[in-house]
Amino acid sequence: MKNSTIILALVVFVASAVLPARAQNSNTILIQNATILTVTHGNIEHGSILIRDGKIAAVGADVKAPEGATVIDAAGQFVAPGTVDCHSHIAIDGGVNEGGPSVSSMARIPDVLNPDDIDIYRDLAGGVTEANVLHGSANSIGGQTVVIKLRWGKPADQLPFEGAMPGIKFALGENPKRSGFRPPAGVPQRYPGTRMGVEETIRQAFTDAREYKKQWDDYNQRKAAGEQNLIPPQRNVTLDPLVEVLEGKRYVHSHCYRADEILMLLNVAKEFGFKVRTFQHVLEGYKIADELVAAGVGASTFSDWWAYKMEAYDAIPYNMALMTQRGVVVSVNSDDAEEATHLNQEAAKGMKYGGLSANEAMKLFTLNPAIQLGIDNRVGSIEVGKDADLAIYNHDPLSVYAVVQKTLIDGQVYFDRQRDIAQRAANEKEKQELIEKEKKASEAEKKSEEKQEKKPEKKPDQKKKPGAPSGSDVVVGGAL
Amino acid sequence: MNTRILRLASAASTSGLLVAITVALLALPARAQNSPGVYAIKNAKVYTLAGPAVEDATIIIRDGKIAAVGVNADVPAGAQVIEAKGLEVYPGLFDPITQVGLNEVGAVAATVDVTELGEYNPDVVAATAVNPASAHIPVTRASGITHVLSAPGTSGFDSQGGGVITGQASAFNLAGWTMDEMQIKRSAAMVINWPTLETRSFDFSTFSIQEKPYADVKKEYDKKIDEISDWLDRARHYAQAKEKGSPANFERDLKLEALVPVVEGKLPVLVIAAKGRDIRTAVEFCTKQNLKMILADGAEAWKVKDVLKDKKIPVILGPTLQLPEDEDVPYDRPMEQASELQAAGIPIAFSSFGVAFSRRLSQYAGAAVAYGLPHEEALKAVTLNAAQMLGLADQLGTIEPGKMANLIVTDGDPLEIKTQVRYLFIKGQLTSTENRHHELYEEYRKRPQAAH
Amino acid sequence: MKESLKLARFRLLFSLVAVIALMGALSGVSRVARGEGGEPRYFAITNARIVPVSGPAIEGGTVVIAKGLIQAVGTSATIPPEAWVIDGKGLTVYPGLIDAGTNIGLQQEGAAPSPSAGGRGAGRRAAPVGEIAHGPEDRPGTTPWRVAADEFKTDDKRIETWRNAGFTTVLTSPEGGIFPGQGSVVDLAGDRAGDFVVKPAATLQVSFRPAGGFFGFPDSLMGTIAYIRQVLDDSSWYAQAEPIYDSNPTKNQRIPYDRAERVISQALRDKQPFVLPANNSVQILRGLRLADEWKIPTVLYGGQQGYAVADAIAAKQVPVIVTLKWPERPKDADPEAEQTLRDLRFRDRAPGTPAALAKAGVKFAFASDGLAAPKDIFKNAKKAIDAGLAPDAALRAFTIDAAAILGVGDRLGTIEPGKIANLVVTDGDIFNEKTKLKDVFVDGSWFEIHPEASPQKAPHGGEEPKPERAGASSTLDSGVSR
Repeated sequence: MKNSTIILALVVFVASAVLPARAQNSNTILIQNATILTVTHGNIEHGSILIRDGKIAAVGADVKAPEGATVIDAAGQFVAPGTVDCHSHIAIDGGVNEGGPSVSSMARIPDVLNPDDIDIYRDLAGGVTEANVLHGSANSIGGQTVVIKLRWGKPADQLPFEGAMPGIKFALGENPKRSGFRPPAGVPQRYPGTRMGVEETIRQAFTDAREYKKQWDDYNQRKAAGEQNLIPPQRNVTLDPLVEVLEGKRYVHSHCYRADEILMLLNVAKEFGFKVRTFQHVLEGYKIADELVAAGVGASTFSDWWAYKMEAYDAIPYNMALMTQRGVVVSVNSDDAEEATHLNQEAAKGMKYGGLSANEAMKLFTLNPAIQLGIDNRVGSIEVGKDADLAIYNHDPLSVYAVVQKTLIDGQVYFDRQRDIAQRAANEKEKQELIEKEKKASEAEKKSEEKQEKKPEKKPDQKKKPGAPSGSDVVVGGAL
Repeated sequence: MNTRILRLASAASTSGLLVAITVALLALPARAQNSPGVYAIKNAKVYTLAGPAVEDATIIIRDGKIAAVGVNADVPAGAQVIEAKGLEVYPGLFDPITQVGLNEVGAVAATVDVTELGEYNPDVVAATAVNPASAHIPVTRASGITHVLSAPGTSGFDSQGGGVITGQASAFNLAGWTMDEMQIKRSAAMVINWPTLETRSFDFSTFSIQEKPYADVKKEYDKKIDEISDWLDRARHYAQAKEKGSPANFERDLKLEALVPVVEGKLPVLVIAAKGRDIRTAVEFCTKQNLKMILADGAEAWKVKDVLKDKKIPVILGPTLQLPEDEDVPYDRPMEQASELQAAGIPIAFSSFGVAFSRRLSQYAGAAVAYGLPHEEALKAVTLNAAQMLGLADQLGTIEPGKMANLIVTDGDPLEIKTQVRYLFIKGQLTSTENRHHELYEEYRKRPQAAH
Repeated sequence: MKESLKLARFRLLFSLVAVIALMGALSGVSRVARGEGGEPRYFAITNARIVPVSGPAIEGGTVVIAKGLIQAVGTSATIPPEAWVIDGKGLTVYPGLIDAGTNIGLQQEGAAPSPSAGGRGAGRRAAPVGEIAHGPEDRPGTTPWRVAADEFKTDDKRIETWRNAGFTTVLTSPEGGIFPGQGSVVDLAGDRAGDFVVKPAATLQVSFRPAGGFFGFPDSLMGTIAYIRQVLDDSSWYAQAEPIYDSNPTKNQRIPYDRAERVISQALRDKQPFVLPANNSVQILRGLRLADEWKIPTVLYGGQQGYAVADAIAAKQVPVIVTLKWPERPKDADPEAEQTLRDLRFRDRAPGTPAALAKAGVKFAFASDGLAAPKDIFKNAKKAIDAGLAPDAALRAFTIDAAAILGVGDRLGTIEPGKIANLVVTDGDIFNEKTKLKDVFVDGSWFEIHPEASPQKAPHGGEEPKPERAGASSTLDSGVSR
């Protein structure tokens, strides 16, 4: 062997002994060789995405893995932004609706987030990374809402999307007026019973909110001016969020169907000086697309649901395309844990019904809902600087054959199909072991109980009397 | 119809094409079908499902039937020619469990005729209540479903099922002026909602799940099954009396009469059952009673594969796109079980169990392919297999001469989301794909820009 | 002369009667009327193994009890001549056990005001019983003024049953509604109800169970939490506003009266601990978060999934009352029903919670809530010990830690001079199932335990298994997610 070779070998030998083996840095990940659907910058064939500390650090055809990076080989696969579901009811404990009063803005979804809901995991398996978790539609004004990242395995306080604007749910039409529902005898029907009353419920609530705000403003003014011995107004947890709406600090997401009720809410919003952020379902949005554009409201709708209620009878699958083509920012949503697992395919229906382009269809479940929720600075497209919230599919996500392989949030793999499959046998085994263990324990318990009953009665002890008179055995001081 | 328009149409782009045809056909009311004509679909890739696909083939339709299929089929004089180069032809899709025609708006009871009152209604027939003018019919067929089986008493997203023996399901085409014209088989199967053994119920007053004692629930369950057995026994007795007894002593009973073909094994029973144990019990029961059972829904069929295979029970699966009820069941089980059952040799078919979601039939099949079902099997599962299960395979399910001409001409894989149905043939008639949704689309697309 | 004798005799008789009457009055007139002997007030247990809990065990020691209190403890304690001496050779003396979760002495939940109605008694706009609550102002399920001590019935058979098993003290609380009332610490012996009570307003009970039924407010967990938030706000406001109004009536609008506000603002002033039900890890973390937000002294109740979040509980220094009815498969369950891995794991690990809490430094007590008989309490405590809880720690949970959590740690829970004489005397280790109880002292009153009344057997006339306490659940039932 040549001397230089020996020296080189020695150097390498020494170096590898001295330098600690570089542990795989889980903070640096390279997803390589995939078709990347950036949504904002076109598609990249055979591209790679470098992720560092939870953010997208580089995207392109020539991005290479730095040393120590975890490499995910995505050859033949497609990487898209994670799905943002703009209408979700997963992860809620103890009831989706506070259905008692007509105005239930005191109820807060963030109070009752349940991180153990299996639907979080199932939606992850469908590529969902963000969800707008909403109160139900039982009330004209419903409860406060929250945007979450589907960080499966983390506790409840780590689910909310940091910095996302909080929201509140309104509902118009058949649901808040409980059209099909007759309460049992003795229970009064709840106002409102017509769409007219729905409008008045909302107007009254905001009138109260204005009055309440005024009371506080007055009080604060007088206090600032040095007045003493003032009793502050009472806090009202029902009106507080409505004041936030008036002040632009809380988004309004309104469930609605018919064109006329949509316009009604726009008028009420104008009257009280607030903005509606999104209309949800908005199945007749196509009839008034221009009005939606003028008001700057987003529309979050179903792909092809219709006819289950009278107000859904004019719903058409062309809704997404028609509104998009008129300039509305449109997203497709689920309102259902199962539907959320294939929003990518629901979005593809916008191509069939109304001729949206592939990228326009992609936006329906990624960038557009992110824009609607005010989180598009962080998610919704694959761009340097955004959060690494991604879904990796084995086919074009707009194809019926696409199956999610991995879902990442903040650069962490929260769902891995191969890992899920591999884990199943172990779970089953653990289950059987625990069942066996329980069975054995209960049998042992039964045996010992039987033994106890068979034990002969011990003779009463010869009680040594304390040094005092009275041979009485009567328990003293007992209950009368 | 002008062949020139049709040739023009095939040269245009996707949506333009659809518009062109729609414009041409708008002259006809949506339900309309011409008097039987002769058609030739030329140069298409034809998936006969009775052999490998045939490239550049021609299909001749005459008198409501498929007259010829092949590369060299002669085009008769006077035939309306549809130039289908670059397009594909498949047998029309069959949704074998729906409530189409029985339910217009789910929340409006007056428009719903799915479930009759009472638990035992073997004599009611779906076809009676189907509304040929339902807006759902043109909407559903526009996605390639040419015929359906409407089943009374079944539950879906928009329908509330109920009852035990709920009536006779009817198979009919999604085109025609009256049920007489639409009907394929008035009484195609008897529907039985198999009772379920469930100890858990949701108690609203405590907002928690309550458990009923198993022993109590089992007793109720067994009692219910005995009741069903009772009905069948009485039907047998009735059949005997009718056949062999003296006419003077015979009293007609409409309900028992309806059950006679069931106990004679001539009319299949669609047994709706989801849980593994219920399916097992149902199979045991039907075997003992010598019924011709088709399992419907079968959400947990994978749990009792061996029983289904052993007793040769075919399965009409409920919507593939659903989540498992139990939190430990793997998330992909509902989508993957079709391939598991098919690989085990169990005949399967897909269905929607719905009305508005009937048009998702191809999507359900596509999802099963995504999770392992061979594509060809999936195609069969939305065309041929259910026809075989229901005894309709002599008329439907493949593209072969002599069969009813229910065909769809598509611009691609019918299981893919984006695929459009370009031409629709029902009972040998070129049928419009115009429907309520497309009409509303056109109307509002043309709304002038709103003034601000 | 005769008359003066008569007078003298009459005077003597009169004074005798007066003296007797006076004695009677002093020692309880009824006792004289009933012809019972006077109750001994001085005892000494000698030569016993004493487990004071406040320090190491004392072998061959003596405990002296005088007039309801412990007078002396040690190897050389002076025994007053008045004392009844009990030879404790071969016996062990423990502090009386404390059960921190019962409804002993109270009527069952059914007697409470209908949960969907507004609060009984004066309230701002308390809806009449039977009407539906439309919002927080209707005060649904709100009766914080109900104090267990005020409703305590001395004829509850469980008093004797629990006492015969070594329990001298319990927390007993009203049930029903979102604010069911206040729990009281009671000793299990006395004449009139008031005699039993050690601390009447020990806890403020809270439940997260929606009280609105299906049509009233609240009908959801989030509505219930929002309601509690509003009531706490209102109560703090009242505490602030009322004195200002009272001293400046002409400057402000009159304040309406609300009984709940008055009672709860008092509880806040007294730093009365709020008992928040929380059984699984999600509920526990939620309880900790709400306690933080509302700035209320808190005790978590249930705590059975504490093993998963022990450190989080320790970080907030919130004590836990662990209910001992460990989750188990229902007796009449469907043999083929799918059991979730989640439930199986919970049932397997729950008994390990006390050990985990002890390890993390969380103070905890035990509650029998839901268990029919004291033998089940010991059986389930044993499961916790088998799962890793040190017997010392178990004893602490039943004695001094329970006392501390309930605010009576300065007067109960250990064998130290000055503390209330609540003791249990056994012939062995109290957690050994073969051990027999010999005597129980409650407030210095002596109860001999007869073998028939051994805790190993089912009690006679015992109560039916109680339904779940408001809000708490001993299975992993975190509510419905849709």
